[in-house]
Amino acid sequence: MATLFFSLWVKRGTVTLNNQNIPFWGLATLATGPRLPGPTIKAKVNDNIRIRLSNSFLNIKQIGEPVGLMFPGIEGVMVEEWPAGNSRPVQPQYINGELVAFTDYVDRGSIFLPKGLIYKFQAKKPGIYLYESGVKSEKQIQMGVYGIIVIKPVGYNMPGHSNYKTAYGAGTNSNYDVEKVLVMGEIDTTMHENVVPEKNYNMLDFKPNNWILNGRVYPHTIDSDNNSSQPYGSRINCRVNDRVLLRIANAGYEAHTFYFGGLTGRIIAEDSYPLVSADSDLSYEKNGITLAPGQTADVIIIPTARGEYILYDRDYNHIVNEESFPGGMMTSMVAG
Amino acid sequence: MAVINLWAKQGYMSTPDGQSIYFWGYSKGAAEPAQLPGPPIIVKQGEAVTINLTNNLPEPVSVFLPGQTGVKVGSQFVKPQYSGGNLISFVNYASSNGGTVSYTFTPTRPGTYIYESGTNPHKQVLLGLYGGIVVRPEDYDENTSRTAYGSGTDTEFDREYLIIFSEIDPSLHQAVIEGKPYMISKHHPRYWTMNGRCAPDTMLPDNAPYLPSQPYGAMVMAEPTEKVLIRYIGAGIDSHPLHPHGNHTRIIAMDGRLLKNGARDRSFKRFTVLVGPGQTYDQIFQWTGLGYTLDNPIPTIIPNRRNLGIGEAGWTMWSGSPYLGEKGEIPEGVVSFNEVGEYHFMLHSHSEPKITNWGAFPGGMMTMISIYPTGFLSPDVGVLSQPVGKE
Repeated sequence: MATLFFSLWVKRGTVTLNNQNIPFWGLATLATGPRLPGPTIKAKVNDNIRIRLSNSFLNIKQIGEPVGLMFPGIEGVMVEEWPAGNSRPVQPQYINGELVAFTDYVDRGSIFLPKGLIYKFQAKKPGIYLYESGVKSEKQIQMGVYGIIVIKPVGYNMPGHSNYKTAYGAGTNSNYDVEKVLVMGEIDTTMHENVVPEKNYNMLDFKPNNWILNGRVYPHTIDSDNNSSQPYGSRINCRVNDRVLLRIANAGYEAHTFYFGGLTGRIIAEDSYPLVSADSDLSYEKNGITLAPGQTADVIIIPTARGEYILYDRDYNHIVNEESFPGGMMTSMVAG
Repeated sequence: MAVINLWAKQGYMSTPDGQSIYFWGYSKGAAEPAQLPGPPIIVKQGEAVTINLTNNLPEPVSVFLPGQTGVKVGSQFVKPQYSGGNLISFVNYASSNGGTVSYTFTPTRPGTYIYESGTNPHKQVLLGLYGGIVVRPEDYDENTSRTAYGSGTDTEFDREYLIIFSEIDPSLHQAVIEGKPYMISKHHPRYWTMNGRCAPDTMLPDNAPYLPSQPYGAMVMAEPTEKVLIRYIGAGIDSHPLHPHGNHTRIIAMDGRLLKNGARDRSFKRFTVLVGPGQTYDQIFQWTGLGYTLDNPIPTIIPNRRNLGIGEAGWTMWSGSPYLGEKGEIPEGVVSFNEVGEYHFMLHSHSEPKITNWGAFPGGMMTMISIYPTGFLSPDVGVLSQPVGKE
């Protein structure tokens, strides 16, 4: 058990989609620019996680709005004001009786006035969890304020341990050779260019024109991890007969059907509830899975022949860039 | 060895509101029309299959077989195809204007699968290049062992129906024939199809001569207590919630995989089945209707006639009697399509705008399930077989 401390800021930046630079709001550390998705938070069961979210203080690229984070699927989240304050459970926020945020948030302040909140919780069960904006979520999540928390069982990294290289511990059929987190979403370029801080954006105008996997569109999804504002590649390298664990999350506002390149996978967890236990096996096989906004699924795929497989959104209107195939929400798995 | 010959062609389909829509489809013969959906491929587990594709369309076309393993072209496994570093097809294709390709594979698992073009799929699949595959279990026998997934899997059936769903935006189809840009971002479906037809054509028989490019009906017909296997395939890009009024089905398999882990039965009952893009759902449906038997007609109070929803001529499936197998009076001037006092109820998309034809109700993804009195339905009804094409 360890206490893990993360310091996050919401900053303005740009992402590149299909050779176009598009403004976005994303999560960052103090030293770096914002990321899409935000920095992946990794922990083990029993770890105490402390995430300090700061606005204004030292944040020269603040977005100009209050910021706050939600942790769907994680119970017992507490919040503590920073630099000093008492702990309390997170709760919806009202002003004059009107709901203004799903959760506690950090208001804007002057650059000289440090302001922050520390969200605190214990990692209780393994899985992947979205963390995302709880303030003007219809606007800020689309603008890029989301990321993934990966919680592993104790022993996952200890050879010889029964939980070694498992997503959910021994006996859950979740052992893997290769693991890849894939976060689905969509981006409306027009909205990104027209959003104004503190002003309502008419979400009836929301019309996405880019479909993203880990913040990128194909073919850039298959580029390697890097230090850009879109740091996470989606290409999967494995060997024949490897157990490839795909951890798929839908951070967008639309349902998407992630298709396993013609292969059949076994769904071993939904919303981070494992489907296999000592006395019951509720896992099932699929060629693709439809995930509604906010849902996650863990899938084991075992390629039995060498070669390349294209994995994609079976909503075929989402695998284009500017009307042309290929593009959008696709990636490649290469079994060597 | 099963040999399936397919041609990719252009054609025209009809909608009940009188439109003739250009489409691309697979055909079962060199001299036969493109059809929507493509001919069903009915094969047996463990028996080698060859699919020969001849492409008469002006761009490369392929047959992509999600869920089948070990698909080869020649001696090589199929693989993504690139041109100048750009991906152009998920699998090997037949070149435009007369090219051919042959795929071989041996289906290892019984079940229901989709086949579709893996080339420019945002255009070609939406234009109609899709169809269904049924893989019979190894021990399947039409007379002695009629099951979806083999004996011992609790998947016996008496009749079976394959229903494939999709959407059509006629403007995009028109753009293709006029050589205008195909703007997928403008995709706005106006027609919603079951086996390539919109209601009420869904209820017409197979091979209706006036629908030469849409040969398959989507009406489910059975007798009380029979086990009916309904195979759904989502071939479009939207999800569709389908349900039979007042009844439920038991989902026994998805994507061609039996919902059973060892002895653990994972099948489940649903009133509404959400049919997602590229996904398949096998269901067993059994009509037992409130304890109906021949000697025990369903207890019903007949409503006042003015409260009966009796449609215009050409729309009435009502027999004039609530009792299965009996016919009663119907209002003068109303034509009844009820043959022998059978009981009809709707099977439709519960996304109601999709049971219209370009906004006009009724239409779209709607059909009927009809329960015939025991002994009245021919054994030839609800039988799937491999269509044979003419050269």
